[in-house]
Amino acid sequence: MTSEPYTTHYVRFDESRCTLCAACLKVCPTKAIRIRDRSSLRFVDQCIGCGACIQACTAGAITAATCKPENIGQDHVAIALVSPVLYAQFPNAMPKDVLLGLRHMGFHHAIDMSIFLEMFQFAAVEFIRRNRISQVAPWPLISPVCPAVVRLIAFQFPSLLPHVLPVLRPVALMAREVKERLIPGYEAQGRQVVLYYINPCPTMGESTIDRTAAPRQKPVVSIGINDLYPELKHRVDKILSEVIPFSETHLEFETCATGNAALVAMSGGEIASMKIEKSLAVPGLKETIRYLQKIEMGLFEDVEYFEFRTCREGCLGGVLNAVDKYVAKSNVHRMLNVYGLGRRIPRNTILRLYEKGSFQTDRSVSTLTTLFGNRKPALSLEQMQQIEQIHDRTTGWCCGACGAPDCLTFAEDVVRGQTELDDCTWISNSKTHKGH
Amino acid sequence: MASLRKSFFIKARDFAHAGEASIHIQNLLKSMHLDSALVRRIAICCYEGEMNAVIHGGDANIHVDIETDHLTLEIADDGPGIEDIARAMQPGYSTASEEAREMGFGAGMGLPNMKNNSDDIRIECAPGQGTRVHMMFLYEAERGIA
Repeated sequence: MTSEPYTTHYVRFDESRCTLCAACLKVCPTKAIRIRDRSSLRFVDQCIGCGACIQACTAGAITAATCKPENIGQDHVAIALVSPVLYAQFPNAMPKDVLLGLRHMGFHHAIDMSIFLEMFQFAAVEFIRRNRISQVAPWPLISPVCPAVVRLIAFQFPSLLPHVLPVLRPVALMAREVKERLIPGYEAQGRQVVLYYINPCPTMGESTIDRTAAPRQKPVVSIGINDLYPELKHRVDKILSEVIPFSETHLEFETCATGNAALVAMSGGEIASMKIEKSLAVPGLKETIRYLQKIEMGLFEDVEYFEFRTCREGCLGGVLNAVDKYVAKSNVHRMLNVYGLGRRIPRNTILRLYEKGSFQTDRSVSTLTTLFGNRKPALSLEQMQQIEQIHDRTTGWCCGACGAPDCLTFAEDVVRGQTELDDCTWISNSKTHKGH
Repeated sequence: MASLRKSFFIKARDFAHAGEASIHIQNLLKSMHLDSALVRRIAICCYEGEMNAVIHGGDANIHVDIETDHLTLEIADDGPGIEDIARAMQPGYSTASEEAREMGFGAGMGLPNMKNNSDDIRIECAPGQGTRVHMMFLYEAERGIA
């Protein structure tokens, strides 16, 4: 909390657009936003990239720190990493049309995530199955799929970090595969490659196109679905105007995408096809926090797996989506009707990879703590007492006039020396009255 | 020596709000960077204590005293008291009402969990005078607070 930046790793702030309405102040789950000097918004160093402030900001002052889709593929090989959330934005198109649309936009490759989702789900089930005997991890295990959830746990519920399923996330599996198989060929030709993840939310964070990095270290660049959508929609519509609509072809296996994968875009979709009896899906920021609190209090030890998503309706509710989440959900239902459910990868193939440790995450509890843990200095008992005393003098109404999200956070800020006691209008007024 | 006391009121049969005291204490201890495993043990004990009070105890008061080297948690209720403390400490033994069991509570793990997760537990009760559960947590092996 030493510096007070205008941006975080995940969001950008445009001061000229900010109306100081303070809507963002209240929604931040880690209380990372302050209004300073009654004139400007500041972030403190604890943003987890959930996107709640972007959603709350009606002035358009807070946006995702994603890469804008410009000059795609013009002086480099552009590879799009595509999650099923993108398909859900198109009511009449099939995944193959969307992937073709991306190629028409300038991407050299458009890679579908389905198979990697299937691998992840397999590895997750396998880990859970073995954990019933080995008990190496505590129940309930928590899905690592939503990055905002993992950061929230590291920041606010560190005792639950051992519960995070130690399996590589689908995006990581996909990026690794592409880096190993696709990039070296282009590098050998002396061509630059950029990986673009087409993202429904700001969780991937600020990423710049690094042209000097070695193939395996190449960062993935994040593009918001909403930034890409207008042009992609145009391209896909053009493709659709030239083909027989899928609903009339009755051809089910035309693309590599699957119903199982489409399902994962929705809340509950990750666990729906995982065949773990004792699993729960909890979407939404408030509910996620509520249930993490419950797990920390010792509840749900009889549940084996929790699918948490900070967005309502799951990834379809991500703040960077182009269409309404309920419309998108109905599009997923339509895809499910066409594809049905079912797996494609032979069990033995994945089992062999599992035994080789191919799905093991490289992010240990200590790594996650270092990356996302709470870095605010510890408060002493004496400071806690001071906070209590100051909090008792506030109204407790959490009006936000001081620029902090609530009275308790204000009291803490005062004790940490980051704001003045008189910034509370109630406290400064009562002082004035006493003077008379 | 510095210490901090927090008190909470627990309403009988208020299942919806049980756990609020535990969450409050968790947040408090986290901002003091108390070892996260210890915070969790305290949170579990506090929650179990709240649930006991909600299920059996009538109205109850919880007092938490945070000291520099240890923490005490006391749950005092106006309930009927515990008839046989030794039996109540056995896992699975429960006198919870049908209502509580229907809601998924009253599995008979409350006191055993509190015993397992605290460094010391004392239970005082006399017929008609309620129950007082007193728990103590030591920081020493784990990280203390300033």
